[in-house]
Amino acid sequence: MDSKPSADVPVRRPPLPVKIVIAGGFGVGKTTAVAQISETPVLTTEAPITEVAAEVDRTGLVPDKTTTTVALDFGTVAIDDEVKLYLFGTPGQDRFGFMWHDLTVGALGALVIVDTSRLDDCYPAVDYFERTGLPFLVAVNLFDGRLAHELEDVRWALDLSDDTPVVTFDARDRASVRDTLVTLLRRSLAMASATGV
Amino acid sequence: MTTSWWEPAQGGAGPRPYVDIGGPAGDRDPVAASSATSGVRPYLITQGRARPNDTSLRLEAQVSTTDDGARSLSRLAYERHDIVVLCHDPQSIAELAARLHLHLGVARVLVGDLVEAGLLAVRHPEDARHRVQIIERVIRGLQAIS
Repeated sequence: MDSKPSADVPVRRPPLPVKIVIAGGFGVGKTTAVAQISETPVLTTEAPITEVAAEVDRTGLVPDKTTTTVALDFGTVAIDDEVKLYLFGTPGQDRFGFMWHDLTVGALGALVIVDTSRLDDCYPAVDYFERTGLPFLVAVNLFDGRLAHELEDVRWALDLSDDTPVVTFDARDRASVRDTLVTLLRRSLAMASATGV
Repeated sequence: MTTSWWEPAQGGAGPRPYVDIGGPAGDRDPVAASSATSGVRPYLITQGRARPNDTSLRLEAQVSTTDDGARSLSRLAYERHDIVVLCHDPQSIAELAARLHLHLGVARVLVGDLVEAGLLAVRHPEDARHRVQIIERVIRGLQAIS
């Protein structure tokens, strides 16, 4: 229904788009998670990073302005006959700071995937989401099915508030990714209800 | 041209068909491959603009061809033409960028121009007023996935 060629139908009513951002360091399982849940093949586009310095405040860590690009992987899920969910996976590194606003404005929430052996990879994403008030969840990807650190240690190390969910999941498992997204959205729902919008 | 060269290659492309930009052409359509590696600086296409005139254009905003757009195809060339063709099937700016091998920023500027010209229509994401209902719908939709 979604992918039918439209030669015979001039213009279809576009879906209502919503999005969730999937952040985390390189190789942490973002694209794997998107691919598990996406109904369409994961697409990749390139976003230029030329405005880096403007929006990142950790000046010591920001490289000179460059014109390199960062790959953005994304997938989609048709939620019902109107709503279409976009899942944008992005490397959560300091030097990609400028993209955060474009990526996250209007998002329902963000999933921060962490590898406990490289916990500091996710600091910029966590900082940004806390600062902007975007609902987020920290998901520890279980590489090899083992958890190297207790979840409470992760919460402590990232200095997360008590109401930020910290869960384990398996980026290679569709049901696990689905359940993690639902947990995130329950948090989003609680925050949206609390603000009365 | 009657063949839809802009459509992704069928089969054999793997799960990330657009990721091999700049690499060997492989089994990809030669026209698409050459356009992906044309060496044209992205912002030459947009006459130097990095931002669309309408900065509220989000990456997930849905873009579709208007009747005017469909009638104007013969006047359009290159990326603008391809965008108006692709948007017969409504899709996001991000999807357009991926399918046409354009940088996101470039796709956004071009879409902004075409919207201003009345050749494309945009469906923006819903504002915050219906946020609770939309989140509930997305939760239900995800839970229905087996």
